[in-house]
Amino acid sequence: MESGATESAIIDIEAVAGTTSSPGYRAQDVISATGLTKKFGPIEALSGLDLSVPHNSIVGFLGPNGAGKTTALKLLIGLSRPTSGHATVFGLDAVRESNAIRARVGYLAQDPRFYTHLTARETLEFTARFFFLGSKAAIRRRIDETLELVGLADKADRPTKGFSGGERQRLGIAQAQVNHPDLLVLDEPAAALDPLGRRDVLTVMERLREHTTIFYSTHILDDVQRVSDHVVILNRGRKVADAPTSQLLDGGCTYDLTVRGDAGSAKARLRGQPWVSEVSSTVNDGGEHITVTVTDQEAGDALLLRTILQDDSVAVTKFGRKHHNLEEVFLQLVEGQQA
Amino acid sequence: MTAATRTDSVELIPATSHGWTIGLANLLRKEFGQWWTTKLWWIQTLIWLIILNGVTTVIMLDSSGMAPEELVNEAVQTFFLVGATAIGIGIVLTLQGAIVGERELGTAAWVMSKPASRTSFVVSKLIAHFTGFAATAIVIPSAVFLVTAAMILPQPVQYGPFATAMAVMGLDVLFFVTLTLALGCLFKGRGPIAGIGIGLILVGQFFKGMLPEPVVLATPWLLGDVAASFAIQQPPEFNRLVPVIVVAMEVLLLGLVGIWRFNREEF
Repeated sequence: MESGATESAIIDIEAVAGTTSSPGYRAQDVISATGLTKKFGPIEALSGLDLSVPHNSIVGFLGPNGAGKTTALKLLIGLSRPTSGHATVFGLDAVRESNAIRARVGYLAQDPRFYTHLTARETLEFTARFFFLGSKAAIRRRIDETLELVGLADKADRPTKGFSGGERQRLGIAQAQVNHPDLLVLDEPAAALDPLGRRDVLTVMERLREHTTIFYSTHILDDVQRVSDHVVILNRGRKVADAPTSQLLDGGCTYDLTVRGDAGSAKARLRGQPWVSEVSSTVNDGGEHITVTVTDQEAGDALLLRTILQDDSVAVTKFGRKHHNLEEVFLQLVEGQQA
Repeated sequence: MTAATRTDSVELIPATSHGWTIGLANLLRKEFGQWWTTKLWWIQTLIWLIILNGVTTVIMLDSSGMAPEELVNEAVQTFFLVGATAIGIGIVLTLQGAIVGERELGTAAWVMSKPASRTSFVVSKLIAHFTGFAATAIVIPSAVFLVTAAMILPQPVQYGPFATAMAVMGLDVLFFVTLTLALGCLFKGRGPIAGIGIGLILVGQFFKGMLPEPVVLATPWLLGDVAASFAIQQPPEFNRLVPVIVVAMEVLLLGLVGIWRFNREEF
């Protein structure tokens, strides 16, 4: 192993931190917040959050415990009032017009609670009656369809008192989308679910994407990476990243290579190139793994592989731009900010 | 989109209420359901029949040489005086968790995440609990009292004045329902609600005679006396309209304070 060759993800924090725009990201925003701040006594739970969530997107809202995610979600649907700043949902003011907002939103709380004497079906009927006046039969059909969607059809007539955490979570998702909302705001939707339940929730979210915008908080980074178009990361009440998932995970100017043979002269040649800023490597059973950071991505794409292959003693078994996983990005951003 | 969903879209008409009434009909349906589709209504009815009709039936049966008119008055007065105190205590004990409990359990936050105004949330409880207690603690026991009196007492009870007395008792019920719900909006725990509510009743019971008249007239302590005086058609020493008007104003004030506070609640 060469000196300083620890394999760490090199993430261009500057590129994602505070980024709020991408093509077409503002004009069609469902949620828009500017300087949204919430204080509880001396504690600032949320500090100047700027946020834009476009139509028909799935936006993952990430952050460690106590980062301010739940606070932000509650501010958006009017369960809480901001200390300062401003938020709109569908262009409606989140404080003054929260009833009109909630008529178009489905909300799932972090730990959903329902009236325990009501059955799942009665709970959904009670929820649906906030939105609809229609016939009993039509409401019953909608409820049956929703119960089927979340896999609670066989437990529909059981009082929710005996529901497990996972069943309550499924009911929570059902009540959040019984009105077919234009916006789903979900606070940890998969938190209490087993792997199968999680998979089902993600499938439902992907299915709803066509008609609905989804803004959800979670700790499960794999889920975010799988379904989200856009990621917002919050730490200690402040936004530390806001970017499309692909951009966040894109290694940018970093390349990963795996080579067989003696790569010493190839690495020396690389270091001599003006467009290469850093070369590091590790050796393992599969060969030597080299990470190259360049200052010019076009040069990297065009010249990097050629430069290495000038040496006949080296065989390249793997080559490509680096892709981070969300956990790397998340940890680097959060720990970076804490440091 | 399936055919069933398309049909639903036609048949499901978006709710149209505005302002503070948003969600009121649905919340009222739920609150009334909690009274009348669960065992709550018959448990409450049983309690008040035992307390109010039990005591007054014993009085009716034990005339102890009283004149007929005296016996009627004794039974009627006992009915309203015991009722005014006992119903107040019953309401405070039953409703101390009506708001606080929902806040603790998280159901209030859940309901408030739907298109429902906070005013609707409080008003639906006020209407449903007032109706529930008025029916189970006044109307049903009064009907039973009148039937029992007609069967046992040597002299009939005057229905008109008795109905006026029931209306005064309705104000007593409304006061304690409003007070308890308003305290639920103001405090986070059940302790202060039960303490203040029951404390108010007990102070009236023990110290009513020692306090200045204007103070006593400004409380619900005299509503039992006012109701009894209407029922037996014997005006009291004080102007009985004063406590009625003052308590009605207090109900309004408490209701507004409770609603104002709940509208500022953070979930």
